[in-house]
Amino acid sequence: MSIVMKQVDKTYGEGATAVHALRGIDLEIPSGEFAVLLGPSGSGKTTALNLTGAIDDVTAGSLVVNGIDVTTLTTDEQIAYRRSEVGFIFQFFNLIPTLTAAENVELVAELTGHDGGNRAREVLNLVGLAYRADHFPAELSGGEQQRVAIARALAKEPPILLCDEPTGELDFETGRMILGLLRDLNRRNNQTVLLVTHNAAVGDMADRVLRLRSGMVVDDLRIDSPVEAEALTW
Amino acid sequence: MVSTLNRKLWRDIRRHRAQFIAVAVTVFLGVTMFVASYDSYLNLDASYQATFTEYRFANVTYVGGDVEALADSAVGVPGVESVSVRTVADHPLRINGLKMLGRIVGVPADRQAEVNQLKVLEGSYLPTGDAILVEEHMANHFDLKPGDSVDLLAGDTWVTAEVAGIVSSPEYIWPSRNRQELITTPDNFGVVFATEETARKLTATGPNEVAIYFVGGADNSGLVEELAGVAAGAGVTADYTRAEQPSNAALAEDIKGFEEMAGFFPLLFLTAAGLASYVMISRLVHAQRPHIGAMLANGMTKRKVLRHYLGYGVVPGLVAAIPGAVAGALLARIITTFYTGLLSVPVTLIEFYPANALGGVLFGVGAAFLAALAPALVASRIRPAEAMRGETPTGGGRTSLLERIIPPLRRLPIRWRMPLRGIGRNPRRTIYTVVGVVLSLMLVLVSWGMIDTVNHLMNTQFVDIQQEDATVYFTGPVGDADISALGEIDGVEVVEPSLEIPVRLVAGADTYDTALVSLDAETEMHRFLSIDGEWLDLGSGLLVGKAVGGLLGVEVGDSIEVQVGLLGASFTEEITGFLGEPLGTLAYVSSGHLTEIAGIDLPATSALIRYEEGVEGGDLRSAITELPNVAAFNDSKAMFDMMQQFMLLFYAFVGVMLIFGGAMAFALIFNAMSANIAERRREVATLLAVGTDRRTISRLITTENLIVAAMGIPIGLVAGYYLSKAAMGTFSSDMFSFDLYVEPMTFVWASLAIVVVALVSQIPGLRAIRRISIPQIIKERAA
Repeated sequence: MSIVMKQVDKTYGEGATAVHALRGIDLEIPSGEFAVLLGPSGSGKTTALNLTGAIDDVTAGSLVVNGIDVTTLTTDEQIAYRRSEVGFIFQFFNLIPTLTAAENVELVAELTGHDGGNRAREVLNLVGLAYRADHFPAELSGGEQQRVAIARALAKEPPILLCDEPTGELDFETGRMILGLLRDLNRRNNQTVLLVTHNAAVGDMADRVLRLRSGMVVDDLRIDSPVEAEALTW
Repeated sequence: MVSTLNRKLWRDIRRHRAQFIAVAVTVFLGVTMFVASYDSYLNLDASYQATFTEYRFANVTYVGGDVEALADSAVGVPGVESVSVRTVADHPLRINGLKMLGRIVGVPADRQAEVNQLKVLEGSYLPTGDAILVEEHMANHFDLKPGDSVDLLAGDTWVTAEVAGIVSSPEYIWPSRNRQELITTPDNFGVVFATEETARKLTATGPNEVAIYFVGGADNSGLVEELAGVAAGAGVTADYTRAEQPSNAALAEDIKGFEEMAGFFPLLFLTAAGLASYVMISRLVHAQRPHIGAMLANGMTKRKVLRHYLGYGVVPGLVAAIPGAVAGALLARIITTFYTGLLSVPVTLIEFYPANALGGVLFGVGAAFLAALAPALVASRIRPAEAMRGETPTGGGRTSLLERIIPPLRRLPIRWRMPLRGIGRNPRRTIYTVVGVVLSLMLVLVSWGMIDTVNHLMNTQFVDIQQEDATVYFTGPVGDADISALGEIDGVEVVEPSLEIPVRLVAGADTYDTALVSLDAETEMHRFLSIDGEWLDLGSGLLVGKAVGGLLGVEVGDSIEVQVGLLGASFTEEITGFLGEPLGTLAYVSSGHLTEIAGIDLPATSALIRYEEGVEGGDLRSAITELPNVAAFNDSKAMFDMMQQFMLLFYAFVGVMLIFGGAMAFALIFNAMSANIAERRREVATLLAVGTDRRTISRLITTENLIVAAMGIPIGLVAGYYLSKAAMGTFSSDMFSFDLYVEPMTFVWASLAIVVVALVSQIPGLRAIRRISIPQIIKERAA
C-alpha cells in the first residue's frame, strides 16, 4: 500500500473554538492509483492531502506512507520525507517569481542530489515545456506555470504526487490538458496520484473517487473504466 | 466613538507593532536630538550673551600704541558706552613653588572696571592695593582660597600677593592665552587680576590695552570699522573684536557644534524613519489590496482611503514626535546645566522654546506623513475590480544585474542565484535599505572620524611637529650661561634658545595678529610640516600657518609686512612656505635670518628643552625652575595628556552615536526584512513543502540581506568620509586646522558594525519563518 490512514483525526484549535477537520478517517490507497478526493469546502480534503504530505501534523490516528509512519516523524525527518516521498502541485502554482521555469525545477532537483540542469531539462521536456525553460513565471500562461509546477514536483522522482486543486486557476481547456498530463505521468511512472478537487467531473478520469463531507469519507467509489482527460466536460 | 476605519488602523498597528515601534523609535530619536541640540544651542548662546551684557564684555579691544589717546578719542564716538584702559601682560607666577607663565590683568582698585567686569565668587574685590584676585580655573586647580598667596615676579625678585577673592571673567570662561594657544592647562596658564597700579609696577610697562563696550553691549560692525580708523591713528599693534576674542571664539566654535548637530543628526534620523515607514506602509497597502478594492467597491471615497493610509504614517509619527519633543526639551536642560557648570559660565539661562518643540513635532510628523503619502496615494488609486481579483502582481522576474555583468555567475547553484535575484525583485525597497545602511554609516563615520581626526591632530602636533618637552621662560634675555645651566641638569638632553614675539602680518589692507617664533635654523625642537605633508627647512624666509594664505590673500613667494609692535619696527619678508600645523597659525623664522632682516640682534627670551629618553617632565620641573633666572616653565606634554583625557568624552559621544546609528540601521533593515519575508511567505512555505529545510531558507535570506548591506557599505563609507570632511571643515579656522583623518581600521570596524546590525535585525524575521504554517499559506489567495 502507498498510503494507509487509520482513524485519522485532525483538529485545529481547542475547546469551544476547536475545528474538527478530519474525524476518524480510514483510507488505503495502493501504489500507482490515481485517486480523487472530492468534496465541498471545509470537507477536509485538503487537510487529508496536507497530512499525507507531512506539512501538517495528525492529531490522532495512524498514517503510514510507503511504510513510513508519518505521525512519528521529527521536523527534520518530515523534511527528508517530503524530499523523497512526495511531490506537491498547488492550486496557485507557487512558483518562485525570480527564478526561470528551469531554475524553479533545478532548485528542487538539487535538493535531492540530482544534476539540477539536466534533470530540469528532462522533466520540462516531459511536461512539454522545454522551449519555455528560460522564461520567468510572469512570462508564462497559467497552464504553463502549472506545468512547470508539475515538472518541479517530478524533479525529485517522488512515488506520490499530491495535487491540490491543480486546475482551480485554469481555464477549461488548459485544465483538461493538465489533468491529462497528470494521468499520463501516473501511468508512465506508476506514481500514486492523490488529487483534491471540488469539481465532480474530474472523478470520471480517476481510478477511484473518495467523497468527503464534514471530515469524514462518505463515499468510496472505484471507477472501472476511467475516461481520458480529453473526454471530460464541466 | 472610534470609527471602524480607525479601529482597523489601531489593530493593524498593533498587529505590526514591532515595525511601527522601529519607526517610532527612530522618529523619537530624531525629534529628541533636534530639540535637545537646538534648545541647548539657544540656551548656551543666551547664557553667554547674558553674561556678556551683565559683565560688560568688551565689543572690541585694542592692543599697543597710544592707548590713552585712543581711549580719549573713543569715548566721544557715538555708540560707544564705556572705555577702559588697562595693563595686560603675560607674566611669571609662582604658586606653591610651581612657576608658570601666567597673566596679570590690571583693574581699578576701588571699583569694577567699566568694561570686562568680574564676578566675585569668593572673598571680596581688592580690599587692599597689593592684593590680587585669582581667576577661578586656576584657583580651582591649585585649590586657592581668599587669604592664600601667590608669588609674582617683580624685576628679578618674587613678591608675595594675598588672594583677596576668586573671580570669573567673561574674557576667560575658556582660559585661552591667545588664538594661537587656545587650549591651555592650569599648570601652564592662569590669570590674576591686580590693581592697575600693581600691574604696571610688576610688568614694568604702562597701560597697553583699550577695551571698549558699545551701547547695550550690542555688536556693531559699523562702529568697529569707525573705531579702526581711530585706532590706526593711535598706532595700535593688534586688535580683536568680541567674536575674535580667544575665549569667546573657542566657545562659539563649541556651541556651533550643537547648532550643526541640530540640523544634521535629526535629518539623518528622520530620513531613516521616513524610509522605514515607507517600506512598511507600502507593504501593508500591497497586502491589503483586496480589502482596499472591497472598500472602494462598497462606496468608500478615495479621499477617505487616502486619509486612512496616511494615518499609518501620521499616527506613529505623532505618538513618537510629541514625547520626543518633551524628552528633547528636558535633555536640553540637563545639557545646558552640565555644560555651563563644567565651564563655570557666570550666568546660566534655561528656557523652554515652544517653537523648537513645535518644529520638532512638525518635522517628525512631516517625515512620517511624507513617507506615507506615496503608498496612501497608491491605495486611493487602486482599481477595485482588479484588486479584488485576488492574486496581486508579483512582478516579473529577471536575471540579476550581477549575472548579466558576470555571466559565469549564471552557473552558480540556484541557492546562490536566488539571493542575487531577490535583491532586484523590489528595487525600490533594496535602494531604501541601501540608503539606510549609507545613512547609518554616515552617522557613525562623522562621529568616529572626529575621534580619529583629533587623535591624529594631537599626534601630529605633539609628536611629529613639536619636539620639545618643555619651554622655559627667563626673567631677562637668555644668555649662554642660562642655556648651559639648563643643559647641565641631569635628564636634559638638548637645549635651544627661542624667541616668541607678538606681530601683525600685513598684506595690503588685510592684517593678521599672531606670534613670530624665532628658532635656530637647524632646530631639533620643531619640525615644519607643509600643507602637502612634506617636511620643510626653516631656511631663510618666513614659514606661516596655512590660514594666513586665506586671511591675507597671499601665496608662497609673496612678500608680507611683519610689524613688531613691541619694538616699534617692521620689515617685509617673503613667504617661503605654508604650514599645515593643527593648532594655531604662527609665523616662523630662523634666528639668524631675523637678525638680518630686523637689523638688530634680538635675544631669545625662552629656551626649548628635550629630556633624555625615559625622563618624565615632573621630575625635572623643580630642578629647572629653581635655576636663578628661570621665570616660568611650560610643560608641552601636559597639554597632550589633558587632550587625551578629553578624548574619553569623545569616546562616550561616539559610543552614543554608534548606538543611535545601530538603532537607525536596525529600524530600516528590520522593516525591509519584515516586508521581504511577508511578501515571500508563500515562497517560503512552498520551499518548505518541497523539502527545503529552514536553515537553508534562513541562509538564503541572510545572504540576500548581507549582499544588500554590502552594497550600502562602500557607498556609506565614501559618503561618510566626505560628510566627515565637510563637518570637520566647518570647525577649521586659524585656531584649529581640522583636516579629516580616518584610520583605515575605522572603516573596517564601522562596516563590521553595520553587518552585525544587519544580522541582528533579521532575527525576528527569521523567527517568523519558523512559525510559518505551510498549509495555511500555500492555500492563501492573496500574496
